[in-house]
Parts: sequence; C-alpha cells; structure tokens
Amino acid sequence: MRVAALYIDAQVADWPETRSICSRFEVPAKTVATPDEVYADVAAAQDPVRRGKQVLYLTRNKGAFIRQCPGTNHYTCCGYKILHVGTFCTMDCAYCILQSYFHPPVLQYFLNHADLNAELEQLFATRTNHRLGTGEFTDSLIWEPWTGLSAGLIRKFADQDCCVLELKTKTTFIDTLLDLPHRRRTILAWSLNTERVIGSEERGTASLDARLKAAARCAAQGYPLAFHFDPIVIYDGGEEEYRRTVERLFAVIDPRHIVWISLGALRFMPDLKGVVQGRFPQSKIVYGEFITGLDGKMRYFKPLRMKSYRAIAQAIRAHAPDVCLYFCMEDDEVWQDALGFRPADRGGLARMLDEAAVRQCGLGSGCRRR
Amino acid sequence: MASDGELTEECARLIPLAGIDPGDERFRITTRRDSDDLHLSIDRLGLQVAPLVLPGAPSFIVVSGFRRIAACQGLGWDSIRARVLQKASPYECALKAIAANSLERPLNLIEISRALRLLDQYAPNGQAPPEDTAALGLPTHAGMAARLKTLCRLPEKVQAAVLEEAVSFAMACEFGRMEEGLAVTFARLFRQLKTSLNKQREIVALVAEIACREGIDPRQVLAEDRLSRMLDAQDLDRNQKTQRIRRLLRQRRFPALVAAEDNFYSLRQRLTLGDNLQLAPPRDFEGTRFTLTLNFESLEEVGRLRVKLDELVAHPDFKTLLTGKSRGFGETSVP
Repeated sequence: MRVAALYIDAQVADWPETRSICSRFEVPAKTVATPDEVYADVAAAQDPVRRGKQVLYLTRNKGAFIRQCPGTNHYTCCGYKILHVGTFCTMDCAYCILQSYFHPPVLQYFLNHADLNAELEQLFATRTNHRLGTGEFTDSLIWEPWTGLSAGLIRKFADQDCCVLELKTKTTFIDTLLDLPHRRRTILAWSLNTERVIGSEERGTASLDARLKAAARCAAQGYPLAFHFDPIVIYDGGEEEYRRTVERLFAVIDPRHIVWISLGALRFMPDLKGVVQGRFPQSKIVYGEFITGLDGKMRYFKPLRMKSYRAIAQAIRAHAPDVCLYFCMEDDEVWQDALGFRPADRGGLARMLDEAAVRQCGLGSGCRRR
Repeated sequence: MASDGELTEECARLIPLAGIDPGDERFRITTRRDSDDLHLSIDRLGLQVAPLVLPGAPSFIVVSGFRRIAACQGLGWDSIRARVLQKASPYECALKAIAANSLERPLNLIEISRALRLLDQYAPNGQAPPEDTAALGLPTHAGMAARLKTLCRLPEKVQAAVLEEAVSFAMACEFGRMEEGLAVTFARLFRQLKTSLNKQREIVALVAEIACREGIDPRQVLAEDRLSRMLDAQDLDRNQKTQRIRRLLRQRRFPALVAAEDNFYSLRQRLTLGDNLQLAPPRDFEGTRFTLTLNFESLEEVGRLRVKLDELVAHPDFKTLLTGKSRGFGETSVP
C-alpha cells in the first residue's frame, strides 16, 4: 500500500534523516506538534485500518526501544526481545493482529536512533546472549525503501558477539543488505505460508517463490536464516499444502543455513474477528474451529492444532532432522505430542534458541547464558 | 408543539361512512387490525369518541380512529359523527394521529417505530423537533430512535414476530441489517421456537458462520433436512426443538470440538461415577487439568468415595480420558 500522507513530529522535523526520508516521498509533509492530528486523520477514515497503512508519521520513540516480547501466561514464550523501531505495516494481511492492537493503527517510524543505539550498547555490555527482532510490531523490512534502518542495525550487531538480530519479513527488500559485513549476527527470517493463504489472506506481500529466492540470495551471502510457519491456517487440504510449502523451502534452502523454524497456528484477540469480518468479508479464516484459549485469545481447538503441527513438523524433520524447530506460544502438551519432548527437557525454549543462535551465528563463547 | 388553537381547527359533524377511504393508512399508528372489542361496546354504548378525519379528494382520510370506523362499518352504520380537521398540515395531522394513541395507552415497538417515521416523514425539515417527540412520549435518544425507526420497514412477517414478542427489539434490529428473505426465515423459525434472545443470537451467529465458511446462503443452512425434521417433529416441545437445533448447528460449526465432547461424555458415562463424584474436562479441552468434585456429608460417604476413587484410578476408560484429550478421545473424531 502506498503512503498517501506524511506527518512529521515537530521534534524531529529538522533532523537530517527526517529530511532524507521525506525526500523519498512525493506526498506533501505536514509538521505537527502532537500526534492528535495524525490520529484524527486515521480515525476519520471509513476504514481506519487501511488509512493507518497509508499515513506515515515520523516521530520519536518516547518509550523503550528494547522490550520483552509480550508473551502470555499458560503458553511457552521464547524470551525474545523486541526492538521497537516502528509500528504497523504497509502490507495488508487479513489476520494481522496489529489491526486491533493499536488504537488507532498508524504507520510510525521512530527516528531517535541515538537512543536506540544507547539501549543496544547497554544490552551488549552485559555480554549475555539475547535474541532481538524488529518484526513484532511491524514488518522488519518494509522500511528499507525509505530508510537505512536495517543496514545500521546489521552493522551494529556485527560489532558484538553475544546477541543476534532477527529481521522478520514477508517482503523481498534485501538488496541493500546483501553486501553488508554482517558477521552472521543478523538472521534474516521469512514468514512462510501456503500459496493459498498467501494469495487469499496476505495482500501486498511477496509470493512464496519470491520469499524463498530472496532467502536463498541472503544465504549465498552468508546470512543465517530463519523461517516462521506462522500463522498456520487450518483448512481442508491444508496439511498437504503445508507439506508442499516445506518441500519448496528445502528445494531452495540448505537446512544448514537455518537457525530455527517456528510453527504457530492462527490465534487472535477476540476483537480482531469483527475487524476481519468488516475489512475482508470474503475471508474465511475466522470461521475455523476456534475456542477461547487460556490467554483469552481465540485458538484452534487443540487436537486440530496438534494434528497440523505433527504433519508439518514431520515434513520439516524429513528434510532437516537437526534444525531447531519450535512452537510459538504453545504448551507442553502440544510440544510433547508434536515434537516428542517438552522445552524443559532441553533447558527451556529460550535456552534452546540461544544455543541455536550460538551454534549457527558463531556467538562468542565468553557470553553469559540467560 | 404549537398551541392547539393555532395548530388545527376541527368541527364535529356527521359524515357518510362511504365517504371515508379505509385503505389510506398514511396516519395509521395502531398495529391491531381487528375491532371485535369495539364492535360490542359501540353497539351497546354508542361511539364515545369521534374519529378524526381530514377532508381529502374525493374521500376523507383517517387521522385517528381506524378501528372505530371499521367497527361502525361492521355494524352496518351509514354515517358516523367525526371530528373533521380544517386547514391542518400533514405534520399537524401526524402529531394528532400519534397523540391519539401514545397519550392514551402504551405503544408497542412497531407503533413507536411508525410514530417516529411518521414524524420524520411530515416534519417540515425532515426531522421532528425533539420537543414534539418528547411531548408525545416517544423516545428522544437519537441512537435509540434511529434503531426503532427501522422496525416498521421490516418485512411484515418479522414485524409480526416482534409483536408476538417472539423476536426482541435487539434481534429485530439485527434482522434489519439482513437480507429480507433471510430475516423472514429467521423470524419464522423464532416464532416457532419462542426462545430467549441469547439462544436466538447463538443460532443466528452459528448459521451466519457456517454459511460464510461453506460459501453458501444462510437460508440453505436453515433449510437442511435434519433441521426441518426437528422443527416439524410432533413429539418435541419448543425447548426440545431449540436444544436440538442449537446442537445440530454447533455440531456443523464445530465438528471436532463437539465430537470430542461426545466422546468425553460417553467415556465418562462408562465410569459410572455416581451422584457424589463429578468429573469435568478442561474448558474446551484447551488446558491440561481435569476437575474432580466430591460431594459428601459424613465420614462413611468419604469412605465410599475413596473406594470409588480407587476404582476410578484403575478404570481403563479413565486413563483414556486423561491421555486421549489431545486427539479428541479417539483418532477418528478429529477430521
């Protein structure tokens, strides 16, 4: 989706990067003292979510850049840290939780990178293994055409030995990243889904082939890779289509380049259902067999999740028996059923992923484990 | 509202019944059509209050007193004493028509809807002043009024369901957002079932979601053979029909979950727990912890429960219950 309106927080109006970003847009920029006018613009639209994807607000992050992933109770969280570089997304996935997460949703990009770097320095100074990612509140790479965000972060992470950065995307905006001196401290990750789900639910995203080709180009440049089958959508014939997606992944990518693969079935806060019904009346994804999970989110009935997980995990294991395969926000019962062990058996999920990062990204042996 | 002297002038006079157009219902508020009760009283006591009419070309237009006029016609009268309005604007007639009803008795939802519509229809600026609405005892809250106004535009069969109180105001508003044929189908169903709003909402949501998921018209869901048979079953009362229809729809909407529930209940039944021991699964089988409740009031009862618990632990079906949850208590139950 194209940016149709550009608002600039008065506090960052005369910063060089602000001017640089503005020069990349043909829309007039408006400087505002507070975000109220931006929110009013978005809220006044017939479809505020759509408008929020077209309104870019350049501003400062007034809170913390590094945040703990908001994992919920009852399900195992991976202990990921969010690098909060911006919010929302220009792509338009029907199931995107960000549609109902921000009130109102606005495409924001934070420019106070001195603060971001200071927080990173502080974290690096602890010499403790951490996994950080920018892909929680936004897609990591949608910003590439307008900013040098990822390049700066990749260089920053390359200068230390204890932490890895994961850039998670559904785009193919990798050209500016390929030749960077990354020292394997940045993992380039793609969300994967079946052709059917990509075609019907992930508007504006790159095709499966394009994502895999982009991943292969990154692997050729020595970047470690990750893949996320998330959200897995359960539908008739879906398991076979996910198996085919797995086949296509390993037809292009050598498993030795992969740091981890995650599986996560579609889940969402109840509010999102109305948003999806209103914005995507043709979408059937909210009509699966959902129950209210222990965290209040709508989740597929557990035996259905387990069945899908078993099928996809089996397909992945057939190609990559040693790859670190994990579930995003599932409980021990699911782990045991689909993978044959519980995270605690291997020191916990965070530990499993840290070790995979150490192994695949060559993190220093002198770093502390959490 | 202006003073009555300024508003209208009226004079009482005898007019021929044949000169009144009974088919012109532009000012009709009352939903009740029969006039049997009035027939009796007018026959015995005479017409107590003269109907209000407006001279029209070629016939008089009824402003209020539709049922009284019908009763007089039914009695074979040739003429009646009526109050004939002079120089009254359509809006003034609307005010009179509504007042004649709303100030005399409580209006039902459809009548309130008609009254609000009538005011808007004839108000000089397309919207009646709130003071007039309030003076007539009609709801003045804009949101509520807007919802009420939709009711009298609903198909007649839906309005009939509202009047019978088989369909609540909230559900009628939902019907207003539906395609007309579907609203009529639901109204027919709920007139038969006479079930609560929550159950109606559940049925409407299940039907809509099944239709969306299967890519079919919701009416096809409601036309399913099994559902029709349940509805027509002579040996079932309304509650039983409602319960079975809800279950049928839920089964279609959540096949794996309902199958797991059925499997669980059937395994639990085989445990013969008795009245003092209850076993409940985790909600929607999502969590991992089952709940066992013991009811007792004496040591002897506790002793008997202990024996029962020992039997339970050794029962093979109990093990199946605890270990088979992830597969819906049977491989075949999960599609």
